[in-house]
Amino acid sequence: MTRPARSFALRVNGVEHRVEGEPDTPLLFFLRNDLALNSPKFGCGLGECGACTVLLDGATARACAYPVRLAEGRDIVTLEGLGTTEAPHPIQQAFIDAQAAQCGYCINGMIMTAKAFLDVKPQPSEIEVREALRYNLCRCGTHVEIVQAVMLAAARGRRREGS
Amino acid sequence: MTQGGRPLTRRDLLTQGGLIIVVSPRKHAPADALPEEGLDIHLCLTADERVIAFCGHVDLGTGVRTALAQIVAEELDFPFAAVEMVLGDTEQTPDQGPTIASETIQVTAIPLRIAATQIRRELVALAAAALDCPDEEIDILGGVVSRRDKAGLPLCLKTLLGNQRLLLPLAEKADFKPVERHGIVGRPIERVDIPAKITGQLTYVHDVRVPNMLHGRVVRPPYAGLDSGDFVGHCLLTVERDSIAHIPGIRAVVVEGDFVGVVAEREEQAARAAEALVTHWKDFPAPADLRDVENALRKHPATARRLVDEGDVDAALAKLETRLDRTYVWPYHMHGSIGPSCAVADVRQDGITVWTGSQNPYPLRADLALLTGVPAERIAVIRHEAAGCYGRNCADDVAADAVLLSRAVGAPVRVQLTREQEHLWEPKGAGQLMDIAGGLGPGGSLAAYDFHTRYPSNAAPTLALLLTGRIPNQPATLKMGDRTALPPYAYENMRVTAYDMAPIVRASWLRGVSALPNVFAHESYIDELAHEAGVDPVAFRLRHMTDERAAELTRATAKRAGWQPHVGPRMDSDGDILRGRGFAQARYVHGNWPGVGAAWAAWVADVAVNRTTGEVTVSRVTVGQDTGMMINPAGVQHQIHGNVVQSTSRVLREEVTFSDTTAVAAREWGAYPVLTFPQLPAIDVMLMERQHEPPLGAGESASVPSAAAIANAVFDATGVRFRELPLTPERVLAGLNGRPVLPKPPQAKRKRGLGFWSKLGGAAAAAVTLAAVSFPLAPKIAPIARPDPSTWSAATIERGRQLAALGACAVCHTGKDGVLYAGGLALETPFGTVMTTNITPDAGTGIGNWSYAAFERAMRAGIHREGSQLYPVFPYTHFAKTTEADMQALYAFLMSQPAVSRQNEPSQLTFPFNLRPLMALWNLLYNRDTEAKPEPARSADWNRGRYLVDGLGHCSACHSPRNALGAVKAGPAYLTGGVAEGWEAPALTAASRAPIPWGEADFYAYLRTGHSARHGTASGPMAPVVEEFKQLPDADIRAMSVYLASLTTPLPEAEAAARSDAILKATASAANPGLSPAARLYGGACAACHETGRVVPLANQGPALGLSAKVHAETPTNLVNMLMQGGGHGSGQMPAFRNALDDRQIADLAAYVRGRFAPGQPAWNGVARIVENARAAIR
Repeated sequence: MTRPARSFALRVNGVEHRVEGEPDTPLLFFLRNDLALNSPKFGCGLGECGACTVLLDGATARACAYPVRLAEGRDIVTLEGLGTTEAPHPIQQAFIDAQAAQCGYCINGMIMTAKAFLDVKPQPSEIEVREALRYNLCRCGTHVEIVQAVMLAAARGRRREGS
Repeated sequence: MTQGGRPLTRRDLLTQGGLIIVVSPRKHAPADALPEEGLDIHLCLTADERVIAFCGHVDLGTGVRTALAQIVAEELDFPFAAVEMVLGDTEQTPDQGPTIASETIQVTAIPLRIAATQIRRELVALAAAALDCPDEEIDILGGVVSRRDKAGLPLCLKTLLGNQRLLLPLAEKADFKPVERHGIVGRPIERVDIPAKITGQLTYVHDVRVPNMLHGRVVRPPYAGLDSGDFVGHCLLTVERDSIAHIPGIRAVVVEGDFVGVVAEREEQAARAAEALVTHWKDFPAPADLRDVENALRKHPATARRLVDEGDVDAALAKLETRLDRTYVWPYHMHGSIGPSCAVADVRQDGITVWTGSQNPYPLRADLALLTGVPAERIAVIRHEAAGCYGRNCADDVAADAVLLSRAVGAPVRVQLTREQEHLWEPKGAGQLMDIAGGLGPGGSLAAYDFHTRYPSNAAPTLALLLTGRIPNQPATLKMGDRTALPPYAYENMRVTAYDMAPIVRASWLRGVSALPNVFAHESYIDELAHEAGVDPVAFRLRHMTDERAAELTRATAKRAGWQPHVGPRMDSDGDILRGRGFAQARYVHGNWPGVGAAWAAWVADVAVNRTTGEVTVSRVTVGQDTGMMINPAGVQHQIHGNVVQSTSRVLREEVTFSDTTAVAAREWGAYPVLTFPQLPAIDVMLMERQHEPPLGAGESASVPSAAAIANAVFDATGVRFRELPLTPERVLAGLNGRPVLPKPPQAKRKRGLGFWSKLGGAAAAAVTLAAVSFPLAPKIAPIARPDPSTWSAATIERGRQLAALGACAVCHTGKDGVLYAGGLALETPFGTVMTTNITPDAGTGIGNWSYAAFERAMRAGIHREGSQLYPVFPYTHFAKTTEADMQALYAFLMSQPAVSRQNEPSQLTFPFNLRPLMALWNLLYNRDTEAKPEPARSADWNRGRYLVDGLGHCSACHSPRNALGAVKAGPAYLTGGVAEGWEAPALTAASRAPIPWGEADFYAYLRTGHSARHGTASGPMAPVVEEFKQLPDADIRAMSVYLASLTTPLPEAEAAARSDAILKATASAANPGLSPAARLYGGACAACHETGRVVPLANQGPALGLSAKVHAETPTNLVNMLMQGGGHGSGQMPAFRNALDDRQIADLAAYVRGRFAPGQPAWNGVARIVENARAAIR
């Protein structure tokens, strides 16, 4: 049974939006097509690669396989909500400094996963960083720089904590 | 590129003043064309100090945009930040061919570099004239033009250029700035594209939106991955356009030859429609069995092309002291772009605009002209960045798809391919077969080398051209198997032969095209010869190397890695782990034979091999590269990292799998697993200092030695040579155990017998058409006028709403269009298909003219208002237990709903069940239920729970077995498990097979949220039931849980928790490495959501499979259904994998999941048949 379309209230990057659609439609379609948020990318539609990752109440969510009906009333944050080119989030700054992108298609997922990870594990080992990113795929082979970026962000976070 | 908010285009620059521009005639432009039509710009300097450079190549995510800007800034002596690069756009940039072979810096940058010297010289001349001094006295530094002696102020470009437009024809050559004076080239510079990528501000082609844009999806033919043969473009039989009539927003179904596409207003509508559209295709012949690549390539027709013939190879072979004949097999690989290809096209009366991620803007434009008949000059191809492609993905295909769909609807259309389509149809990196005959002469000399290489590929023509029949469907042959076919050692007698052959599956170039396989053979073979000669492999190579730069790189890389000379495999062991180290080197030679040399690269690979499991880990790679002059050393290092990771992935894990029809079988990342973070090797890059040499392509070279270096390291670790890839655990284990080949996958049957039920159905088929006959058995109850809803209080209607939810009326009485209570859902039963009816208060087609008496009789006795018998799939036997007050409330609620006029469709039942009068007899036998009496010894909750479960909740309708006549079994069989719509409804009693018995809290969580952490999630027909239960008060859910828990024997909480922890620990991934294809399928397709114990919280977290009732069930039915259909539940939603996995993959996955997560349970039997039935059911 397809459930009839209805209106959904979505709170994305602190702003309230209303979108129309069927309840089981993946959140990704609304973020990209209705709200023009480009950072979450369509990679597989199966929750396998992580390119579409957003934060939902601070947890990672694979938006390509997450129904809009379950996103209502929750805090949704996309990469755009972390920071801007002019004022990047410290994790974004670490990715820029480590030059952690080639084609960049997967990078949204890497940063969003790193954000959720560092929130619960602010001082990880390199092995823990690799484990945290295990289910985010990168095909260009930017893994070295991505791990460096997450370690750099953690180290800077430590310094900020200490100061 | 904007000026005052307005884009500054090639045409603008060629028509305005205040500029110096280096131009050349635009290809294909008429001789008398106006400048803005007839000229290409290479470089432009404006009076307001902007430097705008145009290059026909594109940046594939390699950072070439940054490197090109460095080159321009260096020669021009302007700041790096002043340079704006315009890349790959048919309206703006010159036609410099496709972006391939890592030649952008080596070849395509040269016109830019020349142009920069020309503009600089012109600027100097202008300044000298203005200051009335010789040219030599003018200096340009960081974009500032002044007298060398700094006398006077710097000159303003506005003053120098005024409003002049100075057009300089591009020179053929120029004197470049000496390397000693380089200040920008050779310096590591941060890439200009990265900040926007990190903040989500870059507009990838996937992000292009234009006004009035619609969304398209394509439906590809069943011959997935085949692009040549008589059948290509001629297989489509019919398209059932009505099959998507129920989907809103559809604007067009476009069919041309074998091209099929849909256009809709919203993307999800297009996606749903493409999936739902029913298409029928002819069978097609399987051209070869690619499950055995070696045999397929040996048998495939080929033309031998002798590339080298030096000395007398045959004579030398006859006199060898040690003869070694070897065969090396390279599998098919995928490019595996992380983003499936996407494009937007706008086909208008006056021309076409295409936004694309193509790496070949001009060749694509020619293809689109051929496809549409629109002249090329009226087609604009605008290139945006896309997911990395490393050779060739579906970017061109999807652009052509978008053009066909846009033309059909007269509006811009964005087409996004699915992951499955990208996997299936991307032109694969071809498999390759290398045979070497040769060996050692006297004193370990390299006496003979007879090298044969077979490579099946073409240029993978744009798919829409083939599908629509615009171009012939016959295969072309590309002479591309000869890259780096010449070995880098001085063999005394040498023959090199390439076998050119047409593609078997769609294939084209992938990073290190044909060179990576050829070098796998060359560099594995020289290692074998070194071993035979009793010489250290590096020393042996150096002895026979003729190229001094290769030798220097070899020595430097070996030194950097701390290479210890040795002879023979060392087999260093540490328990189960064997460690080894291997070397390989090559200069990547590409382009038409004899080709052009790009950078040299050398590897020292360190591996660890687990001798018990066969797992190979590449722990460290030391890689040296001689790139000649490096423009951006940071960029070169980045590119080398990428090459090392990607090629290690290819060597260890990657192999395209094929079905028995040669169609590609891998459609997602589980079936085509790539390297992930935990497997990342440590990488040490050593860059040779060669700034005085010309720059060489750096994009691919570092991947070329990978396979041989790793295989040689595995030999050092184990003493076993592997000459076929990938080095999967099962291949390595087979090799260590002395088994030469892997068992071939079993031959799948092409045609299969019908299932049991369909045979039974066939036997009674003749009677089916009688199904609509109905005889009145009970008196008719007179129709009434629809009661006025205001008759009932709001409280009564609300209570009725909750009861309707409890009975999940909407679940069955709502069709696939989602109109609540209007009926039309087909319920498959063993006795035929029952169509549910309209129960909205419409007088004509629903129950609007039913009195309460008629409604109550139907609910309790299963008799229609007209007096005919209803089928017991309508669970009136349960509803009979409902109290009078609840029945009234339910009536009130239904009568208060919107009336929907929709005719009921007839049911299609098999004989004798199609004879409704017989159902009355059935009623006499089985309908004895009435309102149940409360049990005073039990709690009020328990009694309430039993009333809800047995009455309107009608749980036993699914969760109890039925007898041969379809009646629910009672007594000891009560709630011990039944079936529903092809799913198993598991036992709710002590007969449950759940590893942790259900307790009250588990039932409560499950019925309230759709999820019990210790059992799994509601899925299949249960999911909508739980969704309906959301309307019930907590107290009712609690009551049902109390009652249901009284039927089981729950464990004490501490014991349940301990058992749960023990199961999770035993089934965790650390204890279950990916040792088989099925394990890797799970790892890529399932683990991201189902693996437990993660640190990063995940909203999509799926149930722990070790606790899942589906995995512990007696049959795999529910697990297979879940894989096929996916499904929603309270806390999440699993995607359907029916399009991503084939039957064999689903069966393998189910068996793997059972073995790993329910190790105490017996393996399932007949999985393949259950998978077949499950797929048939969704069709």
